[in-house]
Amino acid sequence: MESEVVESEMVVPQHLSFKRVQMSDKYPKGQSRGRHWKHLKQIIQAENYQSYPPNQPNYVNIESPPSIYPSKKFCDITGFEAPYVDPRTNIRYADAEVFKLVRSLPNEYIQRYLALRNAAVVLK
Amino acid sequence: MPFETRPLRQSDYNYFPSTCPIVIDNGGSAFRIGWAGESDPRITFRNVVQRPRHKATGETVTIVGDHDPALMKYFDCTRSFQRSAFDGNVVYQFEIMEYILDYGFERMGADGPEVDGHTNTEPVTKIEYDSWHMKFEAEQVDHPVLITECACNPVQSRAKLAELLFETYGVPSVAFGVDAAFSYVYNQQLGICDRDGIAICSGFSTSHAFPMVSGEPVFEACCRTNIGGYHVTDYLKQLLSLKYPNHVSSITWEKVEELKMEHCYVALDYFSEAKVFQKGAKEAEEKMRCWQLPWVPPPSEEPPSEEELARKAAIKEKQGQRLREMAAAKRSSRILELENEFQGLEFLLQQLENVQESDIASFLSRTGYVSRQEIESALARVTQSLRKARGEQTDIEEKMEPSTSEKYPLIDLPDNILSPEQLKEKKRQLFLKTTSEGRQRAKQKKFEEELERERQNQQDEEKRSLLEIYQASKILNLEMCAWNLSKPVNNKFVIHTSFIVGRTLSFIYNSYVQNIKKFSEKVEQRKRLKTNGSHTNGNNNISGAVGRGERLNAAQRERMRLLTTAAFDRGKGEDTFGAREEDWQLYKLMSKDNDDDDEGPDENEVELNRITCRLQEIDPTFVAKSDAGSVLATEIPRLRPLTKEDFQIILGVERFRCPEVLFQPNMINIDQAGLDEMAGISIRRLPSKGDRLERSINNSIFLTGGSCLFPGIVERVEAGIRKIRPFELPIRVVRASDPILDAWRGAAAVAAAPCFQMQTFSRQDFYEKGEDWLRSSSQRWGFGFQGMRGRCIIAEASHMCYGASPFVNLKEMLVPRMRFNHASPHSFTS
Repeated sequence: MESEVVESEMVVPQHLSFKRVQMSDKYPKGQSRGRHWKHLKQIIQAENYQSYPPNQPNYVNIESPPSIYPSKKFCDITGFEAPYVDPRTNIRYADAEVFKLVRSLPNEYIQRYLALRNAAVVLK
Repeated sequence: MPFETRPLRQSDYNYFPSTCPIVIDNGGSAFRIGWAGESDPRITFRNVVQRPRHKATGETVTIVGDHDPALMKYFDCTRSFQRSAFDGNVVYQFEIMEYILDYGFERMGADGPEVDGHTNTEPVTKIEYDSWHMKFEAEQVDHPVLITECACNPVQSRAKLAELLFETYGVPSVAFGVDAAFSYVYNQQLGICDRDGIAICSGFSTSHAFPMVSGEPVFEACCRTNIGGYHVTDYLKQLLSLKYPNHVSSITWEKVEELKMEHCYVALDYFSEAKVFQKGAKEAEEKMRCWQLPWVPPPSEEPPSEEELARKAAIKEKQGQRLREMAAAKRSSRILELENEFQGLEFLLQQLENVQESDIASFLSRTGYVSRQEIESALARVTQSLRKARGEQTDIEEKMEPSTSEKYPLIDLPDNILSPEQLKEKKRQLFLKTTSEGRQRAKQKKFEEELERERQNQQDEEKRSLLEIYQASKILNLEMCAWNLSKPVNNKFVIHTSFIVGRTLSFIYNSYVQNIKKFSEKVEQRKRLKTNGSHTNGNNNISGAVGRGERLNAAQRERMRLLTTAAFDRGKGEDTFGAREEDWQLYKLMSKDNDDDDEGPDENEVELNRITCRLQEIDPTFVAKSDAGSVLATEIPRLRPLTKEDFQIILGVERFRCPEVLFQPNMINIDQAGLDEMAGISIRRLPSKGDRLERSINNSIFLTGGSCLFPGIVERVEAGIRKIRPFELPIRVVRASDPILDAWRGAAAVAAAPCFQMQTFSRQDFYEKGEDWLRSSSQRWGFGFQGMRGRCIIAEASHMCYGASPFVNLKEMLVPRMRFNHASPHSFTS
C-alpha cells in the first residue's frame, strides 16, 4: 500500500487486538453475505407490535398522524403559492410565466419535478 | 457534513481505568465517541462506511467516515459507495456497524501498544503496569459502554447491538439512552430549560417530540415524523440540479450539505416570504445568495495586427502566383500539342491531294481515318480547341451549325451506297437527331409557356388593380356628386379632390389589409389542421400531445392508425378483406408517398404572399404580422460565449423552501405533522396532565438536533405552537446551547455519575437471560430496556446524584478524572 495511504490511516486495520472475533473470521471471504440483514420493514413485522397493548409505546405507534391543516399547494418549479394546475402534466404552477416554462420543459424534467412530491407517473 | 481531517488516534487509552465508561452518540449523520465525564467527544466522524478495492493489491479495504478525496485515486470505487448502518433511524446493518465501532475504538487507542507510538513507554508504578499489561492481554474493550439509540428502538435492533458489543468486543456492560433526553438533561443543568418541558429533536432522518416530566422522558407521549436534515439536503440537491442541469456534476451531496448549513433559513410565514421573491422586490435581491462555480474566462481574441495581415496577404499572393504560373505552363503545352496535331492533319490533307483516286482507300487505312470528311472534321475540331486555348472568342452558333451536318454525316447519304454497318450507324444517327430535335422543341415550348404565364399574371394583376380602381372610383363618383351639390370655391376644390383621392387610396389599402387578414387566417387554420387533425376522429387525447402525437400531422397520424389496425387486426370472423374494390384503396392510403400536403405551397399561401408583396409596394412600412405564428417567430437562442453568470448558482426561494419541509412534510409527500404540530400532538398524548403541568410544559419547549440550527426556527416553532395551544398560554421556545454536541455531552455527564454502574445491563445478564430478557423486560416495564434503564439513569443523574446544584457538583466530581486524563505520556517519560 502507498505510503500516503498508510500515513493518512484512512484504512481500518484488518486485525484489531481488542476484538474477540476478527472481521475476517466472522465474515469469511467468498461467502455471500448481504441480504441477511433484515430491513426496517421486516424488523417491524417480526416485532409483532399488533399483539402488544396499544397504550404501550413502540416504534410504530409513536409515528405522528397526518397534519390537521389542509395541505398547501406549492408551485413545483418556483416554490411560490400555486393556484393553477396544468392538466396535461399535472404540474402546479404560480403564473403564466411559469406555465410557459412548464410547457417548454421536456417530459423527463416534468417527471423529475413531479417525483419531488412523489407524483410522477411510474411505468411498471 | 463537509470533509474534516481524519481524527488522530488517541494515545491515552491505557490510562483510563476499566470502570470509566465509553460514551457513544450513534447518530444518523455522525458518530461521536469519547470518555465519560469529559466535555467533548474525542472522535467525531461521519457515520458511513465505504469498501473500495485497493488498486495496487486488489484487496478490499474498509474506509470509515470522510476521507481525503485526493487519496481516492489509489482505490477503485466503481462498485462501492458510502453506506450507512441505518434504515431510517434504526440500526439494521450490523456488519457496517461493526466496521464503525472498530474504527471508533481503534481511534480511541484501544488497539493498544502494538501499533501505538508509545510502545516503549515503561509504566512507572506496579499498579499501572498491571492494568496496562492486563489490557494488552485482554482482547476486549474493558469499559462499560453508553450508546444512544432512537426512541422506542425495536428490540431486535437493540439486542443485536448488545450482542455485538458483548460478544465481539467483550464489553462488560452496556446502557442505552435517547439522544434528545440526554441533550435536554444537559441543557437543564445549564439552566436553559426547566424540569418539565417538551424536547423536540430534529435529526438526520427523523424528528421526535416528547414531553419531559420532572426530568424524565415520557415515551407514551412521544411522536415521530420521518423527516430530517437528510430530506432537506436531498430536496435542495434535487431542486438545484433541476434548475441547473449544466452543473449537475458540481452539485454534490457534500457541497449541497454545506450550502444548506450556510444559507438556508426558516421563514416565519412561508407564503409571505415567497411573495417577496415573486414580486422581485429589492428586498428579495438582497436575500439571494450566489455560489460562483470555478470559471476561467475564455481567451479573448485580439484582432490580427497589420504585420500579420500583410504576411497573410503575401502568402496568398505567392500561392496565387504559383497557381497562375502552373496554369500558364499547362496552357502553353496544350497549345503546342494542338499546333502539332493541326500541322499533322494539314500535312495529311496535302498528301491526300497528291494521292490518286484509287489509292485513297489504302492510304486512309494506313492513317487510321475512314474518310476525307473525318480528317476534315478532326481538323476543324483541333482548330476550335486551339482557338479556345489561345483565348480567342468562339461562337457557339457557328459551332452548332456545321456540327449538325458533321455530327450525323450518314443521314444525307442514300442507303444504296452504304455498307450494312454504315446502315446501322445511319439508323442510330437518325434516332439521335430526332430525339435531340424533340428536346429542343420541348425546351422552346416550355420557354414560350413560361412567357405566356408571365403575361397572364400581368394581365390578372392589371385586371385586379382595375377592379380595385373601379371600386375606388365608385366612391370617387359619390364624392364628386356630393361635391357638385355643395359647389365649392376654387381652393376648396383642390382640398376636396386631394381628400377624395386620399379616401380612395385608403380604401384600396384597407381592402388589401383585410384580404391579408382573411388569407392569413385561412393559412393558419390549414396549418393547425395539418398538425392537430380535425379532431373529428375523437382521439384528441391529452397525454398524446406531449409525446409523439404532437409531431405528426393529421394525415400521418391517420396512416399510423391504419398501419396499427392492419398489424393487430386478426379478425375473428372470416376474412373478407379484398372482396370489395374500396378495400384496396387502403394500401394507397397507407403508402408513404401519399402526402398530398407537401405538394407545394397552398393556394391561400400564394395569395397571401402576393397581397403582402403588393401592399409593401404601396406602403413600405407595412410589416406582415402573423399572430398565430408567434411560435415560429420566437428565435432560437443563438450560441453565445459562456459568461461568468452562467457559472453561478443562485439560491433564492430555495433558501427557505427546503427547510420548510420540516414544517410541511406534505411538500415531499410525507403525510405527517410538522415540527410545530408535533409538540401539540405529544402534549395531547400525555396520559396524566394537570393544568399546572401543561402550563409549565409550554414554558420550556426545547429544540435540539442538527436540523434545529436553521436561523429563524425558534420563532417559527413558537408561532406554530401558539396557533394550536390555548389562548394566552405562556410559551417559551429555546434552542439547545449546541444542538449537535449536547446529546453526547449529556450522555457523558450521565455516564460519569457514580450510580451509572448500577443502571447498566451486564454481560452476565446477557449470557444468563439472553435476548429474551430484553423482550420480557420490555413487556414487564412497559418502556423497553432503554426506557427502563434510560429513564432510571436520567432521573438519577439529574436529581439524585447532583443534588441541589447539579452542574457545580458535576464539575467537582469530574475534576479528579480530568486530571487523570491530562496526565499525558510526556509526564511519564520526563
